[in-house]
Amino acid sequence: MTLAPVDYFIIALYFAFVLGIGWLIRKRVATSEDFLTSGRSVPLWITSLAFIAANMGAQEMIGMCASGAKYGIMTAHFYWIGAIPAMIFVGVFMMPFYYGSRARSVPEYLRLRFDEKTRTFNAVTFAAMTIFSSGISMYALGLLFQLVLGWSFTASVLLSAGIVLVYTYLGGLTSAMYNEVLQFFLITLGFTPLAILAVQRAGGWEGMASRLPAVMTHSWRYMDSPASNPMGVEAFGLVMGLGFVLSFGYWCTDFLVVQRALAARSMNAARNTPLAAAFPKMLIPFIVIVPGIAAMALMQMNLGYSLPPKGAGYNYDLTLTTLMAAFYPSGLLGVGLTALMASFMSGMAGNVTALNTVWTYDIYQGHIRKGAPDRHYLLVGRLTTIAGTGLSIATAYLAQLYNNIMDLLQLVFGFVNAPLFATFLLGMFWKRATGHGAFAGLLAGTGAAALTHGLTQAEGKGGWIAGLHEFPSTMAQNFWIAIFAWTACFLVTVGVSLLTRPRPEAELTNLVYGITRLPPPEPGVRWFERPAALAVVVGAACLLLNLWFG
Amino acid sequence: MWDLRLPSGLFFTILGLVLCATGLWLPGHRAPLTEANVNLYAGAGMLVFGGVMLWLARRRS
Repeated sequence: MTLAPVDYFIIALYFAFVLGIGWLIRKRVATSEDFLTSGRSVPLWITSLAFIAANMGAQEMIGMCASGAKYGIMTAHFYWIGAIPAMIFVGVFMMPFYYGSRARSVPEYLRLRFDEKTRTFNAVTFAAMTIFSSGISMYALGLLFQLVLGWSFTASVLLSAGIVLVYTYLGGLTSAMYNEVLQFFLITLGFTPLAILAVQRAGGWEGMASRLPAVMTHSWRYMDSPASNPMGVEAFGLVMGLGFVLSFGYWCTDFLVVQRALAARSMNAARNTPLAAAFPKMLIPFIVIVPGIAAMALMQMNLGYSLPPKGAGYNYDLTLTTLMAAFYPSGLLGVGLTALMASFMSGMAGNVTALNTVWTYDIYQGHIRKGAPDRHYLLVGRLTTIAGTGLSIATAYLAQLYNNIMDLLQLVFGFVNAPLFATFLLGMFWKRATGHGAFAGLLAGTGAAALTHGLTQAEGKGGWIAGLHEFPSTMAQNFWIAIFAWTACFLVTVGVSLLTRPRPEAELTNLVYGITRLPPPEPGVRWFERPAALAVVVGAACLLLNLWFG
Repeated sequence: MWDLRLPSGLFFTILGLVLCATGLWLPGHRAPLTEANVNLYAGAGMLVFGGVMLWLARRRS
């Protein structure tokens, strides 16, 4: 793939705008809260688009297109089952406690609700994870550009990380979120023509369905047993593992996304943030997954389009870029690649801003230096931006050298994350849950996840203790690890809580359901701006999509 | 405080103009698998999006 001058011009234009937005916002940063939490002043349309954009990293775009080619429309389960229900839940039921407690971060909510050790456990693992995941996606981007465009790995890593560093350093969370919205528009407008062109060339949905096995164009019909679908999962494992444990664990407790909703101006806007975000979220499969399916149909048509082979199959990770090469001439090709860079930047900025807040408020202010003047914490926040970016770059290079260590770390983070939602669910909806219970539950859940992985095998993974059970795919194994981790965390939290002394109810106001007086509807809020009404519309639309493509 | 719709509108207007210009002056720029003047159509779409954003920003101020 070679680029023309017009493509380079478009990339440069985009860089100029992103940096310009950071430069214009720098004046709005006077306190540490402006820098780290946007001072709760961001309009709803920006919080909600930033909410999904922060999650739309380059790996997500490339990976979802690849899964579309590999598994078909079933990949949409990651949206229509694995995201929308959890987004509804966090907006309607959990946001009142996050926003109402005035916690500045998710770990801080854990300190208010439980205790210091639970907060610190969550803060430290979360901070490590953000650095790790932005490093990994930087690595993936550098590798892709090296392969597709022949750019140097170092140049693409340093340039893209450097730009993210500049605009987050200048304007903090506000700058990151404003840019995420621009990035969201660019990703959507940059990928939509690709979806239209690829699907049209493959003969529309009907034409695609006629050229591919039926399992590629139905999301639910082949979920009765793992043997009948390429993902190797069955409906129960999918709904409970992905749809409940993993999805709720991510969308309801991951500070990366929750932070965007907490930046909203009012409680109502904070609750509406994930709900409004759910509308564009449920349409994203049409611009990333459907083109992947179209790519497989195009390969049956002898048009000269083919994915490069890899092992017995294809190198699916190149689906998105090979489609661009096939359908985008110089000009739009520049837009497509810029959109890919934009998705990388929105994902990375999301990680960096979440890390800033958690490090500054939960680790530094919580343990290293309490009670300093606010100016000091603003400086710490700014320095964290630099340190976090530097560590991410280091991680990207480590990933290049030691792939195995990275796989291991990813596995360990998965173990830590799997039980999280049980802790938050009990914390928010059961006033009897205690700090000791929550902490013991988290450890037990993490342990149960590791144990499940050690005792079961799938595609040669796991089973390092004994091979008691063989899963049909690693995806099924992951879903069941999550289910066991969540269950262990839930049971141990309940058990230990009942044995330890509960906190007085007066201390739990604004933190727990049943004790908190939910805020009355704000004046001037029209019926369709109420979270409950929005939730019903979002839920119905998502149900229709599941039925239509079932 | 300025409105984000202003820079977004500007960005997509410029992008749309660049793509339309590429489509009109270099109609030979074609991708292997399509006959359409993709730059022109996509550019027109972005021009419309940028214009709407600018109009919204202007209406508010």
